[in-house]
Amino acid sequence: MAEVKAGRAATAALLAQLAADLGASLLDAVSAADMDEAVIVAAGLLPAVDAVRANGFNLLLDIGATDHHPLTPRFEISYHFLALPEDAVAGSIPSSGVVPARFRLRVFPDDRDPVVPSLCGRWPNADWPEREVYDLFGVRFDGHPDLRRILMPDDWEGYPLRKDYPLRGLNRRFNPGGLPGPVPPVVTK
Amino acid sequence: MEMSPQQPFITTKLDEFTKWAQTSAIWPMTMGLACCAIEMMSIVSPRYDTSRFGAEVFRSSPRQSDLMIVSGRVANKMAPILRQLYDQMPDPKWVISMGACASSGGIFDNYAVLPGVDSILPVDVYVPGCPPSPDALIYALMQLRREIAAGGKANVLARG
Amino acid sequence: MSATDLSIFENERDLTAQPGDERDTLVLSMGPQHPSTHGVLRVMLRLDGETVVTADPEIGFLHTGIEKQAENLFWQQAVTVVDRADYLAPLSNSLCYVLAAEKLLGIQNIPPRAQVLRVMFAELTRIASHLVQLGTHAMDLGAQSIFMYAFEMRERILEIMEFVTGARMHQSWFRIGGLAIDVPKGFLDKMDDFIGRFPERLSDIRAILEKNIIIMDRLIGVGKMTAHEAVEWGMTGPILRASGVAYDVRKAFPYSGYETYDFDICTRTSGDSYARFVVRLDEMYEAWRIIKQAREKFPDGPVTIDDRKILPPPKTEIQHSMEALIHHFKLVSSGFNVPEGHIYQAVESPRGELGMYVTSAGGNKPWRVRWRPPSFYNLQALRKLAPGNLVADVVAIIGSLDPVFGEVDR
Ligand code: SF4
Repeated sequence: MAEVKAGRAATAALLAQLAADLGASLLDAVSAADMDEAVIVAAGLLPAVDAVRANGFNLLLDIGATDHHPLTPRFEISYHFLALPEDAVAGSIPSSGVVPARFRLRVFPDDRDPVVPSLCGRWPNADWPEREVYDLFGVRFDGHPDLRRILMPDDWEGYPLRKDYPLRGLNRRFNPGGLPGPVPPVVTK
Repeated sequence: MEMSPQQPFITTKLDEFTKWAQTSAIWPMTMGLACCAIEMMSIVSPRYDTSRFGAEVFRSSPRQSDLMIVSGRVANKMAPILRQLYDQMPDPKWVISMGACASSGGIFDNYAVLPGVDSILPVDVYVPGCPPSPDALIYALMQLRREIAAGGKANVLARG
Repeated sequence: MSATDLSIFENERDLTAQPGDERDTLVLSMGPQHPSTHGVLRVMLRLDGETVVTADPEIGFLHTGIEKQAENLFWQQAVTVVDRADYLAPLSNSLCYVLAAEKLLGIQNIPPRAQVLRVMFAELTRIASHLVQLGTHAMDLGAQSIFMYAFEMRERILEIMEFVTGARMHQSWFRIGGLAIDVPKGFLDKMDDFIGRFPERLSDIRAILEKNIIIMDRLIGVGKMTAHEAVEWGMTGPILRASGVAYDVRKAFPYSGYETYDFDICTRTSGDSYARFVVRLDEMYEAWRIIKQAREKFPDGPVTIDDRKILPPPKTEIQHSMEALIHHFKLVSSGFNVPEGHIYQAVESPRGELGMYVTSAGGNKPWRVRWRPPSFYNLQALRKLAPGNLVADVVAIIGSLDPVFGEVDR
């Protein structure tokens, strides 16, 4: 494990705990330039999240995905967490503002059938971002109560943000005076 | 139109009168799509003030409006809804396509955005810009008034 | 049979349905074309009488594919599409993206003048954005005139923007490595003029709105959220602060030299729509304070780093030097490469913590730009806030959440 950078006491303890709790599920623990992060396999997500939460990371900032195609494993699901000190939430407002910490988990699900456990049971705001990742990348979230498309129309084909999906789409829905059809090729000189 | 100095009435052709009425009270529909909508809102603000041209009454219902300003990019998901709104507007009706995105897709040449709203609606005036300044939109309104006065699409009603 | 005897209708009603029963509710679809959804939002409301039982927002009507589009542009070009996500505060978007790219490139020596100008303009956008929110929110509640006041003030800010950058809304003025151009002559006079006038105008608006009985009636106690709930739902920005948590990215993780400015984090504790409204009013004043300090310290010097591999040389140099011409050609035709890596950068946008998780695969285009759109998360909490309120209050709650759909849907 890499050296933990100065001023990151909160996450140093967390990284040690993750290493102890997860065992083989923890692939890597890095103290990156912006925040500390742990790379785990999908099966280890829920225990890891519980450890993260127990260490004071109470705000789920974001769930996003990245497609590393053609590398394998292909999909990366990134979870960002923020720790707001308990006394700040409880109402005592320090005039200088709270000094929180951030943490990131990166999960690499299996390529052929990308499934990750859902965090909807832990944080209510995991609902929409998980639907978005499903919509745009086709990664499914196990245990999500209502996994359907969110940004694209319900009957859309394909997962637009995958790297093998062409930028201009597969076909055009609305054509002036004609039937929908394949997207004309880009003409470049 | 003829005004008689002695008598308190005007003689005119019904056609002319309709055109006059149509040009001087264009009621746009309140429908903001994207960034351009913010500039569309600015045209009723004190500096630009379209009430000078009788076009400040933004109606919330398509059934009460005769101008649709497509103010912003039209996503594939929004397109059927836009068409439905257009169909709900009573004739005669006009469409201004505001901004690069509505006119051609603009910088978003991708899977999500329509390559120009004219693939689903007949457009009368295109306004270039990203976003077009409110002056440009007012100019488009003037252009539309000229078109109506010249008998352009006002005949839609006659054609049925 | 008296006129008020309704017993003849008894047969028509399902007598087993009780108030609060599923069968006694009505589903109302609000939007996507609705004047008070501030754009293209559909809310499926389940109503019991006039009370909301559940509210399910449906989004995606403005999905533009900005994230995919950014992957297909050079690093520097992507600034233009990034701008168009949160269109009320374009400069906050580009600031976030530019900072992320600079961190990946390892650029640390952004000249002080560029830093100060970045802060100044980010705060100007904050004011402009809050003004739009204020005007449209007040209009939803039935106060037309505030819209006029707010847009008149915003117009002054846009005038400065146009004067400096040439564009009223999508400036794309922040570039990786500095700014696109320096400010023109006469900029400081315009700023002084603005700084001198703004507090008075702001207090005009305050005087009209803050103790306005209609505003208070419509907003106090509506859409209440405790601090714990706000944290649970991932709220940031004015909404989190209105619930009493003093979290502000500018203080917690300072960027662009925010640590050198003196400003307060505006908080309230009641967590209702009124608190959010007052927090935004306060924030405009704080933003004005920051702008004033930036004006005072306004340094001389260049506005870009001196790295020909990142930013093209000035035109005058291109006309004389072959090397400069080659640099320019290289940048225009194939951009520059950014070392492999990933980074999360956050800024405080008018709506909350705007984060970008940028991944570079070492090429001349970003591999992935993932937004953390604050209004996406804020809007999601409508499902928590709306139930129990009246239909008319849903409008007030949506307005107080201040969603911008370019950002929600990207
Ligand atoms: S033309 Fe420009 S301002 Fe208008 S919707 Fe498109 S990107 Fe936004």
